[in-house]
Amino acid sequence: MATNNSKTLARMMVTPAVILLLIWMLIPLGMTIYFSFLDYNLFGDGENKFIGLLNYEFFLTDPAFVDSFFNTLILMTGVLFITLVGGTGLAILLDQAIYGRNIVRIMVLAPFFVMPTVSALVWKNMFMNPVNGIFAYISTTFGFEPIDFFTHIPLTSIIIIVSWQWLPFASLILLTAIQSLDREQLEAAELDGAGKFCRFRFMVLPHLSRAMTAVVLIETIFLLSIFAEIFVTTQGGPGNASTNITYLIYTQSLLEYDVGMGSAGGLIAVVLANIVAVFLMRMIGKNIEG
Amino acid sequence: MSNNKSNKSKMLYTFFAWLISLAIFFPILWTILTSFKTETEAIASPPSLFLFDWTLENYNKVMQQSPYFKHFWNSVVISVGSSLLGLLIAIPAAWSMAFIPTKRTKNLLMWMLSTKMLPPVGVLIPIYLLFRDLGILDTLGGIVVIMTLINLPIMTWMLYTYFKEIPGEILEAARMDGASVGQEILYVLAPIALPGIASTLLLNVILAWNEAFWTLILTTVNAAPLTAFIASYSSPEGLFYAKLSAASTLAIAPILILGWFSQKQLVRGLSFGAVK
Amino acid sequence: MLNKIVMAMCATCVLSLPVIGKTLTIATVNNGDMVIMKELSSDFTKKNPGIELEWVTLEENILRQRVTTDVATKGGQYDVMTIGTYEVPIWAKRGWLNPLDKLGENYDLDDLLPAVRDGLTVNGQLHAAPFYAESSMVIYRTDLLAKAGMTMPTEPTWDFIEKAAKAMTDKANNVYGICLRGKAGWGENMALLTAMSNSFGAKWFDERWDPQLDSQAWHDTVEYYVSLLQNYGPPGSSSNGFNENLALFQTGKCGIWIDATVAGAFVTNAQDSEVADSVGFALAPNKGLGKRGNWLWAWSLAVPASSKKSDEAMKFVSWATSKEYLALVAEAKGISKVPPGTRKSLYANPAYMAASPFAQITLDSINAADPNNPTVDPVPYVGIQFVAIPEFQGIGTAVGRQLSGVLAGQMTVKEGLARSQKLVKRSMRKAGYPKK
Repeated sequence: MATNNSKTLARMMVTPAVILLLIWMLIPLGMTIYFSFLDYNLFGDGENKFIGLLNYEFFLTDPAFVDSFFNTLILMTGVLFITLVGGTGLAILLDQAIYGRNIVRIMVLAPFFVMPTVSALVWKNMFMNPVNGIFAYISTTFGFEPIDFFTHIPLTSIIIIVSWQWLPFASLILLTAIQSLDREQLEAAELDGAGKFCRFRFMVLPHLSRAMTAVVLIETIFLLSIFAEIFVTTQGGPGNASTNITYLIYTQSLLEYDVGMGSAGGLIAVVLANIVAVFLMRMIGKNIEG
Repeated sequence: MSNNKSNKSKMLYTFFAWLISLAIFFPILWTILTSFKTETEAIASPPSLFLFDWTLENYNKVMQQSPYFKHFWNSVVISVGSSLLGLLIAIPAAWSMAFIPTKRTKNLLMWMLSTKMLPPVGVLIPIYLLFRDLGILDTLGGIVVIMTLINLPIMTWMLYTYFKEIPGEILEAARMDGASVGQEILYVLAPIALPGIASTLLLNVILAWNEAFWTLILTTVNAAPLTAFIASYSSPEGLFYAKLSAASTLAIAPILILGWFSQKQLVRGLSFGAVK
Repeated sequence: MLNKIVMAMCATCVLSLPVIGKTLTIATVNNGDMVIMKELSSDFTKKNPGIELEWVTLEENILRQRVTTDVATKGGQYDVMTIGTYEVPIWAKRGWLNPLDKLGENYDLDDLLPAVRDGLTVNGQLHAAPFYAESSMVIYRTDLLAKAGMTMPTEPTWDFIEKAAKAMTDKANNVYGICLRGKAGWGENMALLTAMSNSFGAKWFDERWDPQLDSQAWHDTVEYYVSLLQNYGPPGSSSNGFNENLALFQTGKCGIWIDATVAGAFVTNAQDSEVADSVGFALAPNKGLGKRGNWLWAWSLAVPASSKKSDEAMKFVSWATSKEYLALVAEAKGISKVPPGTRKSLYANPAYMAASPFAQITLDSINAADPNNPTVDPVPYVGIQFVAIPEFQGIGTAVGRQLSGVLAGQMTVKEGLARSQKLVKRSMRKAGYPKK
């Protein structure tokens, strides 16, 4: 139906966004690519010699690189798993007729509005602290040894914190999707003798798939670059146990003000992120078309 | 009989829903409660839930130390400003992608989203140099532009998924009646798309409000938002749980209240094309 | 009314000619002494009409990141920066700081404690003025030690610390004999460990800048540190920094705590500390090798070269670090709240010495610190709890992560140090060491 005229128009309307994003992408990207070949340290003598691929070599052969790569993936999949499963459960629960639904929904939604730094600080100091924290208090009350969160399960602790932040988002979107489900169909299926599990598996879940992909896509974008939560709680440690790629770039570059290294690391992270993006595109592409 | 049964299950569901939601909300509740305690009470063991001497001392101290309302205002300008500016650019883009799609639309959309994956720490120095040379360090304008660019991909995508659900025939009909594109967007599309636009706006206000990397690095005094306000409390010397809680409560309260009041709006538009 | 119009006109003038504006932007950390400075700054603005102050208060790590970016890119966002002994020599050599040559006639440079002044002097000129300075010391619970039937010598050895920690530990009642920094970071666990390693005869680099982390002396240091904390320390040591340990000590959960001398004022303050009346102090421990594990740090005010209001900024620096300022704090807040560790005259003041039980130890510790000869063997670097090269933030933090991993039981001391050695070697090679 699209005429030539409307095609030109379409192009005109997309143009501002595309140009802006191109600028946003190309200028820093161009600078980053350029810097990544230089021996450029803010503390340096200002010579900024060309050193070829040395920055890339150093970043990729960093002993922490492999660890941080897997930590990034674990962090991402862990949070995605918890928020999707927990979010579906919560969405179903919130969809029931319950007393005080509004208040319940408000409470579930609340963590999403909390700044990452604040939630990391609150969790670290008031909950997960093995001596003064509430969890420690609860476990000693029941006679258990308190869990030493950031020593023994640092990455898991961060996953818990981040999941808490993103669970509301997931349950909200999934709730919206559930509410749009065709009730009559469901009731018909129930009359036909379809069990609860059956109805969930073959009617509710397929209906949610689209909302789920939306959750996965948006969360992934944010989860790949988690920084504040690690910075506040574990500083990437102990060892490399909670260092992700973003944090590795921070320690490799910003801490030493090595702009060259930071640029190389940033570019490697972009490549990795794009691999994930291609993966996601395959997965979600269908849903965008459909 | 069946009424009785459904009543019973309603009670049961209510019980679990309240239990879980209270657990989820507890950290925030605890922070708010702690903000009214003294520092020693804040780390006392066993902790007391309500039975302590309520004090406003922490709020006094926190407000005295930093100009809360200035930070608050900057946060409002940055988050609302960048979201509105973003909408201005994203609506036409999403409109054309949704209604006049080309072969490249999908790739374009994905490319837009992938720009969000550039880790900020990697491009910090280039951006800082750029800002310095343009003379827009510590200006609200500069930070609004950055936040717009950061959230533009998500806005475009959200609007796109929403617009796609609008049947093209409505627009066709309007066009037949001789409506121009501007009129088409303003009178036909906008009313239908309003929930989607509203929730896109809200979501981005929230995201921009909570963004703590660029807002911290690119501002000093004049444009510093609430994230800078909170950054001074993350680990000062001495006992700080209560003061931290007071500062945290102040920093999250505005967006929490906005979120609560607008949650219906937020929910309606967050469908991502799932609602047929 | 007229007044208001004139004011408004002035305001527009200032807006259109921002260079003339006399607003100083001051970047500082959110420590108690700085908070007092901010409160009392009206005294400065009263004495210097036409100068206004804007404050940027940030957490230490964020502040460091923020001001370093700005000073290195010559962003010119700040007129006064709060920086430490680590940054001053490096920044001054790069020409990023203005030498403080306009502090005024009454400033009395010779009143500054020599160790502190030396650390901030480059090419014979002061490049940052000390606001408060600290060393490290042993802080302990007198009641718990007495219960164990022991007495703290004024110059304890590491062996004694271990025995005392063992005797004071009572895990059933949540009392841990020793609290030490374990959180990864060059200014956290590595500050303690580096200072400690000096007393064990270890060093970061030999005279040819070869890393020495796999040496026996480092091995002994870390072995001792890890076993001490694992046996007698609180759970979660590997994520405890200064604040976490302070909270533990103040709530009576630590027997001995070795940390910054400024902590003395917090643990003896009855308002925040449950153990205020049973705290004792001693010099940082030694190993009988002639070096004591005490560091030296001075939070100082500096004027970046990119500031456009250097003269006014120096006026402020002079005000905030002067004798008069100390007197002002004593008058407004009480003598024990005076920023410590910078001026001889303060320690000659009997009122101060009487009010602060930790004052003498603080003074002795600072005087005993020698950043120019930090280690038993000669080394090519300056700095006690750090190595004053730009690369140290990065390598210190990387090594700190490994050693916090050792403390958490992820790897053995040997593995941790071997990894650290490798990391440091890489970074030093990248940075072009050994320098010709």
